Amino acid sequence: MRSLEEVQATLEIAKLKEEDLLPSVQCLSFGDNVSSADYCLMELDETLCKHIEAGESLVIRGDKEERAVLCSSNKTYDLKIADTSNLLLFVPGGRTPDQLTDNQDSFHVVHTQVWGFCNSYWELRKQRPKLKKLKKLLMENPYEGPALGGQEENTENRYTMEDLLERIQASEEELKTHMETIHACQIEGYWRVLDFNYEMKLLGHVTQLVDSESWSFTKVSLQTSLEELGPLEPREMIEHCLNCYGKRYTENGEVFYALHEDKVCWGLALMLLQNVVKFNLKEFQYVWQQSVPEGMSTRLDQLKGVALVDRTSHPETISLLRVEDLPEDTVERFNHLFSLREKWTEDDITPYIQDLCGEKQTTGALLTKYARSSVQNGIKVFNSRRPVAT
Amino acid sequence: GSVDGSSPPEWLLVELQGEMVSRHNSGLAGNVMGDLLYTKEGVPVLIVGHHILYGKMVKLEKPFAVLTKHSGHSQDSNTDGVSQVTMETDQPAASSTSYSVSALIKRKLIFKTRPKPIITNVPKKV
Repeated sequence: MRSLEEVQATLEIAKLKEEDLLPSVQCLSFGDNVSSADYCLMELDETLCKHIEAGESLVIRGDKEERAVLCSSNKTYDLKIADTSNLLLFVPGGRTPDQLTDNQDSFHVVHTQVWGFCNSYWELRKQRPKLKKLKKLLMENPYEGPALGGQEENTENRYTMEDLLERIQASEEELKTHMETIHACQIEGYWRVLDFNYEMKLLGHVTQLVDSESWSFTKVSLQTSLEELGPLEPREMIEHCLNCYGKRYTENGEVFYALHEDKVCWGLALMLLQNVVKFNLKEFQYVWQQSVPEGMSTRLDQLKGVALVDRTSHPETISLLRVEDLPEDTVERFNHLFSLREKWTEDDITPYIQDLCGEKQTTGALLTKYARSSVQNGIKVFNSRRPVAT
Repeated sequence: GSVDGSSPPEWLLVELQGEMVSRHNSGLAGNVMGDLLYTKEGVPVLIVGHHILYGKMVKLEKPFAVLTKHSGHSQDSNTDGVSQVTMETDQPAASSTSYSVSALIKRKLIFKTRPKPIITNVPKKV
């Protein structure tokens, strides 16, 4: 334990004058249990902080493979470990200047203990991945269309709403909304996502019908679609496809769909890009435009987050890159992106990091934290903070 | 579990730049870490070994909770009336982990400036 004299000697050597200092010196030492202490830090928002101050309890849920999730009474957060290169010390008795109100004017030593330390903490993230887990479960057995010939349909790994509610921490309403996003539907009481090729097959039938009937894509007749395509695919599937890619409305008692330009273009682009490593950009744009219904316009910005254009190669190319296929962890995500491409413009990289943002975080903040910027040919580009093998 | 509505204590966090870490390997318990003092203007100063660091006090935009991990405790156990953070897992109850909130941290002292060596002879032993 350091004595006052030892401290004063140190101050003298450090050329610090007692008259410039507040008289209380806290001599910090490590407590007996400091190495074995099992403390961890968790970031709080205002609501949670008030919860805790009121003595309310919180629940952390998760399993070995998943990230942990924090539940307060009305809100759920994802917890991600954030590493800091700094060392964080917990000092229960540590005092700040405003707290040094003991009226001793003369120099004195206060022995204070450091009870623990760490270099990472749990960060709150806005809840996103319910969708990811839902899709993951449903992708265990995607629906590929009715069983052919004598083939038996794979009935394993099928989930009802009840099954899903048990496994995914979300309300039924939230799940149903997410189902719509991933184009899932109910077949024989089970919720299924469609195998991508099957979904494209259905879309292909619809768009070809629109062309052959010379319809405006904003007025696709449900009845005619079911009549013409019924022999090819189950009627429920045709209607499901129309629901996913169009908006339903009634006119003079008849049901029509207005196909959604962006969604259709997106789907058909994916179909083209699915089986190639990369596509010559000009060729792709030509073929893509040809494949969409008359009247629809393809635009590259419809493909944000699913395809990446390389303007540095000769000729320019485009390839499939879906954000949902990328690592969930922030650091891993950035490493992966930088291994694909050394330098990114903000426009190009933003769709691929948007989902990583915390509660009130912007992609700009993420880039500042996880990437390094430089200016190349007058344009701001981002690259990795650390050497990454390309 | 139910608690008596009391707020956990507030601790102080001291944050040190990475380079300090290497000086503090295992065998820390009981060892001196350094002297913390403040100038009359309230600037925190930390003397660690032969280095002097100047820092600043920062109010955290997002406060921290200090959680203490308890392995294998029953999730219903309620120690000292502190806020319980229960861990639910898909694992069987035998390996359940629970956390309690030991403290809140709303402010920290951060020492980021490069430590200045104290250039002199060995401090005289008293």
